[in-house]
Amino acid sequence: MAQATRDEGKKVNSDINVTPMVDVMLVLLIIFMVVTPMLNNKVNIELPPATAAVVMEDASKEDAIVVAVTRDGKTFLGGDQVQAADLGPRITDKLENKTDKRVYFRGDIRSNYGKCMDAIDGIRAAGVSQLGMIAEKPLI
Amino acid sequence: MGMGGGGGSGARSDINVTPLIDVLLVLLIIFMVIQPSTMRGLDTLVPQPPKNHDAEPDTRTIVVQVLGSGGGNPSYKINEDAVTIDTLTAKLQEIFATRNDKVMFVKGDKDLDFGQVLPVINDGHAAGVDNIGIITPAVESGH
Repeated sequence: MAQATRDEGKKVNSDINVTPMVDVMLVLLIIFMVVTPMLNNKVNIELPPATAAVVMEDASKEDAIVVAVTRDGKTFLGGDQVQAADLGPRITDKLENKTDKRVYFRGDIRSNYGKCMDAIDGIRAAGVSQLGMIAEKPLI
Repeated sequence: MGMGGGGGSGARSDINVTPLIDVLLVLLIIFMVIQPSTMRGLDTLVPQPPKNHDAEPDTRTIVVQVLGSGGGNPSYKINEDAVTIDTLTAKLQEIFATRNDKVMFVKGDKDLDFGQVLPVINDGHAAGVDNIGIITPAVESGH
């Protein structure tokens, strides 16, 4: 009925209604299930801004090869720290059964460019020619 | 009402939209969380060093250099002409307006920060240069 009626004679129901709470909890569970694998394999890097950046769909895929250089000059392949000299053979291994020979590079805005070039040399040693420089498109 | 024959109360024929709105709000929240993680980036190329070292360098090749100046703001050069970062896009647009080969190279000092070199790649893309190669010291020395 559209209008609430007062039934003062009936017994008062004193149970808490848990259905909305369960709803909210399930939603939070789903959100964290979706977000956690995305945050897991990423090295903490402050990306430089680039206004001309285009969307790179494949970069966020699970099997994308991402090389990262952090602010303190460490080189990471995916989530593992590697020496720049070992990058070549390791990327070659990863590329072996992939058709898309493209590597993504995440450089910190304050990382040393010499270290970045060492990493790029390592990528070049694996025979890769296309490199996607991941950047952040500033919100205008 | 039309259908209810039994009860004295009128049957409600409105659809209950509350669960629908619930589900839509949840989807909205999920996509709001996912959306910022789409990666964006700039395409670059890593050239292999030339096979024959005696080859005559092409004079039409555009190389943008980023030169560090001891911690201060870096200076920029297109081949041998000094430019500022503000005019770089315009200069590149002017150069590549009459060209068919949209190729340029970026060379940066190793003492710089990555964040000082990336704007050059960005300006190149903004000027419509599709192929931007990154020159490292190893490429220059031919290894």
